[in-house]
Amino acid sequence: MQRFMERIDACRHQMKERLGMDPVEHCLCRIKSEESMREKCRRKGLPETCDSALKEIHDAIGIRVVCAFLDDVYTIRDNLAQWQDAKIVTEKDYIKNVKPNGYRSYHMILQADNGYYVEIQLRTISMDTWAALEHHLKYKKQYKGNQELIVSELKRCADELASTDLSMQTLRDLIFEENEAGS
Amino acid sequence: MKLLFAEDTQDLNHAVTTVLEYQGYDVTSVFDGQEALDALKKESYDVVVLDIMMPQVDGITVLKTMREHAILTPVLLLTAKSEVDDRVAGLDAGADDYLAKPFSMKELAARIRSMVRRSQYESETDLQKGNVTLHANDYSLSAANSVRLSHKEFELMRTLMMHEFMNTQYLLEQVWPDEPAQEDTVKLYLSYLKRKLASIGADIEIAAEGGRIFIREESDG
Repeated sequence: MQRFMERIDACRHQMKERLGMDPVEHCLCRIKSEESMREKCRRKGLPETCDSALKEIHDAIGIRVVCAFLDDVYTIRDNLAQWQDAKIVTEKDYIKNVKPNGYRSYHMILQADNGYYVEIQLRTISMDTWAALEHHLKYKKQYKGNQELIVSELKRCADELASTDLSMQTLRDLIFEENEAGS
Repeated sequence: MKLLFAEDTQDLNHAVTTVLEYQGYDVTSVFDGQEALDALKKESYDVVVLDIMMPQVDGITVLKTMREHAILTPVLLLTAKSEVDDRVAGLDAGADDYLAKPFSMKELAARIRSMVRRSQYESETDLQKGNVTLHANDYSLSAANSVRLSHKEFELMRTLMMHEFMNTQYLLEQVWPDEPAQEDTVKLYLSYLKRKLASIGADIEIAAEGGRIFIREESDG
């Protein structure tokens, strides 16, 4: 996991030099708790060892990369795709294929050359804000109010946030284009 | 569909009311301008038909009062006077259409239908092109995914979908009629829409060639 974080940091550094902006807002990583891992190993009929956990279960290690701008999500994705030390096992673009509830993010599962799997989530700040709230709602005990209304309003907010992300990206492109043209 | 009909000639009023009710309208009939104004204060109507020459308050005054209060309901004026100046005065006062007396009931009914169609079209109809729908009720743009648009983005998208070839000047006049906006604003908003169309998986795009702006469907050559 350390190496992955380093790779992402290197990418951020690169982009910062080039554009004068850090593409990543923040980067979180977590390792599943031992208890949770043991339980999953048991369920899958695997030996409860460190090795089997990290080599068989895909979401033992999770990294969430949050970017300020939409295009940066794809830049980081491309950067990781080109990395020699890891290969992409699967990837799902929930930005181009929005989930019915409004959820947007880019998911990847990479396998490092030592066999360990890492799950990566790439998203913008607004997607992250939205997901945090939606997660809270989903995992909280029985919301007592009008469930349908909340779900449809969350979808509306997701679509409005997405629209703003797109406008901001357009503005950034315009600003950088002007700067380049002027220089 | 609620209709307010103001006509002081009793027989004509009854005749027209009967015919319109038969056509399915929920008709409120009044016999002078003051009654018309009172009715408008109490309820909202989908269509208003006013005779010009009425006691108490005439039709033009009723119309002007409506427009001053930002009541945008379509209005058809009935006029016994068929001078051009009178017709011009009526239309400029805010009428959507006029009909000179004597008129045929068929024509009155058709003109009312035409007004209703126009006003519904503007406010309630979803527009569609390719796999893209522009929803009038919630300002959303959808294809494979959906996003919400701002007021001006919606107006711009609607204009683009309703016309064939346009230029920036035309779009400026249509979408920003009263505000100090420039060509740059139009270009920026077109950029917003281009990106949003791509993000929802649209099979149409906004094209600009030789000063002409139009919607191109992927199926076109």
